Amino acid sequence: MSFRTFILGLSASFGVAWLAIVVVPFIKMRNLAPIELNEATDGATGIFFPKRTGRVADGAQVYAENGCYLCHTQVVRPTYAGNDLYRPDWGGLKADPDRGDTRRETNAYDFFGEKFAQIGVSRMGPDLSNLGRRVESIYAKDGSATQWLYSYLYNPRHIPENYQSTCPSFSFLFHEQPVKGERNADALPYGGTDDTEIVPGPEVKALVSYLLSLKKDQAVPTVLNFAPDKGKAAKK
Amino acid sequence: MSSASPTTTDQDALLRAGIDRSLRHPVMFFMTSGAAWLAVSIVLGIIASAKVHSPGFLSGCGWLTYGRVFPAHINAFIYGWGFQAAFAVIIWMMARLSRKECTAAGLILVAGHVWNLVVSAGLIGILSGNGTGMPWMEFPAFTWPVMLVTYFAIVIWSFIQFRVRPEGHVYISQWYILAAIVWFPWVFLTVNTLLHCLPGHPVMGAGINAWYKSALIFLFFTPVALGAAYYLAPKVTGRAVHSYSLAKLGFWSLAIIAPWAGMQKLTGAPIPYFLPYVGAAATALLFVPALAAALNLLRTMLGNPETMSASPSLRFTTAGLTGLLVLAFAAVVLNLPDSTLPLTQFSLSGYGFEILALYGFFTFVMFGAVYFIVPRVTRREWLSRRLISIHFLFSTYGIVTIALIALFGGLQQGIGQEDWQVPFQSAATRAYPYAVATTIAWIFILISNIFFFLHLTLMWLRLGRRSSHPTLLAADHGHAVSPHGEEGDIDNAGPGTASAAH
Repeated sequence: MSFRTFILGLSASFGVAWLAIVVVPFIKMRNLAPIELNEATDGATGIFFPKRTGRVADGAQVYAENGCYLCHTQVVRPTYAGNDLYRPDWGGLKADPDRGDTRRETNAYDFFGEKFAQIGVSRMGPDLSNLGRRVESIYAKDGSATQWLYSYLYNPRHIPENYQSTCPSFSFLFHEQPVKGERNADALPYGGTDDTEIVPGPEVKALVSYLLSLKKDQAVPTVLNFAPDKGKAAKK
Repeated sequence: MSSASPTTTDQDALLRAGIDRSLRHPVMFFMTSGAAWLAVSIVLGIIASAKVHSPGFLSGCGWLTYGRVFPAHINAFIYGWGFQAAFAVIIWMMARLSRKECTAAGLILVAGHVWNLVVSAGLIGILSGNGTGMPWMEFPAFTWPVMLVTYFAIVIWSFIQFRVRPEGHVYISQWYILAAIVWFPWVFLTVNTLLHCLPGHPVMGAGINAWYKSALIFLFFTPVALGAAYYLAPKVTGRAVHSYSLAKLGFWSLAIIAPWAGMQKLTGAPIPYFLPYVGAAATALLFVPALAAALNLLRTMLGNPETMSASPSLRFTTAGLTGLLVLAFAAVVLNLPDSTLPLTQFSLSGYGFEILALYGFFTFVMFGAVYFIVPRVTRREWLSRRLISIHFLFSTYGIVTIALIALFGGLQQGIGQEDWQVPFQSAATRAYPYAVATTIAWIFILISNIFFFLHLTLMWLRLGRRSSHPTLLAADHGHAVSPHGEEGDIDNAGPGTASAAH
């Protein structure tokens, strides 16, 4: 075999796969067409645009820099690929007081505002696709969701039922400061001394804002809804 | 290139000695600094692994948080050790096989220093909290263009050597090395451009990242290791490759299958459906090239079983090829959509599979190559049979533990994750003993590599034995005929041969 043939063979065997699974899908997905809502089936007009509020971009950066993706995923797989949807609080809430069962799988529109989708490497901890929803409706039901996350990130094991958690402490993103007059609104309810308080640094604030934006359970247009029966059942 | 060639003339021996001399410093530099990074990576791996079961361990400081130590560990392993070991093997083996002295040793050495600087900068970037958050690409974005240029500065000479070589048969090792030289920059440039420079869809970005991890294993580390194994097995045993057509089959099936693998990590994520399925199918199919190469090489070595067990190079290579067989088996067993893939997609088996590929296969073969190359470029023999044995045994204990974790721990944890009727904590509880086992495995591997690094450094300082007896693992050192040939003749113009004295 000549050198030419060899290089051609290499380029062809690699190039076909390279085009088919990397380059072309990348270009195709770059400008994902917006989904137009249908008055008859979706009960609304305009385009489907899942809203996210919060410091999505810089919070996502803190999430990436501190390796949250190593233990937490952000994908609720369809039932052919896993049982994520059956969990009562992963794909949404099984019993949302206002909307009933809001659980749904992750779609391509859920990552707006992020550079890189943190699908995640492993699940040493639970999926975070709907963490914001979960904190607001379950964990911090009677208090401030922001405050709950600050306390959690400072010491994941301060809540008795979480004593087994292996989530790292992010106390290095907080700092202790003397209390001047009134206590800081964001100060942790524990830690510090009589004269000092522990307050979150700028990175934790961005991270918590991002985590609270993780509410990927909005109703989806009919074309993206792969469990239309479930929707009907909830409406009844 | 085959060791079955009838006679070794003085001229040949001189040429080989010249090639070895021309590459002594770059090869030894890559090997020793690679071994140092390997030690660093293992220490980081122990810290990271300990945190998985004991989150309070060294948790006060941001630089040592799990989310930074773990990427630092894996990136130090890949770019610090893996690439440098590969560089050493590529430049030495291509020079030998193309029968050309290296004329750019100085430039390669400079580029090698730059590579080490970039790896250091990248690791500091990760530990200080400036990682990119893309697995295996966590080095801050400024590093990749420098790495690419440095890569070319190191391997381009091997490519040129191949082009200007005297006409003749092209050996299978050269195919593998040329392929690795071409594939890596293509992959690396693609993923970095698409992820860092062009705006794309975030989920597709994650898919491309998963493809990169797979491509790095199967399109760079695998061909380099197989190239080395195809060099070592016939060379040390003195037998021709068992089946040359099987070798070709192994090469082309790898070339055709491997580029499709990887995206099964995104099964269920919102990317085009065919991508994860193609990825799973290709990963499972990789048992074809793996089986072809591993069986072919093992058959070659089994023709001379005494040498196979006595030669440190072959012992490590055999272990590495066994690792490849286990890897091929794991690739099938862990990636079946609808049965095991949902269990292993987000469990310990991902990490176990990667370590099996990077250490159980690639690193073991690299160790085999190191034990072969170093005595030739330093013209000293390895100091101690015992040091080599310790290195081998502890590495093997460690990697066997990790393989078991990958195969069983990951599935156990996955079963817990999929059991949606019980709280998620149960999945973490199932993973706990395996997490402890991982830490212990890394400690074994650390012990083995402390001995390796020490031994290698002594060799670089030219404190090796001035002897014509290769260091063999055979208990009986008083063989009438050494497994490497007549006493002192290690087919290489090594120490003691007449031609080497010139």
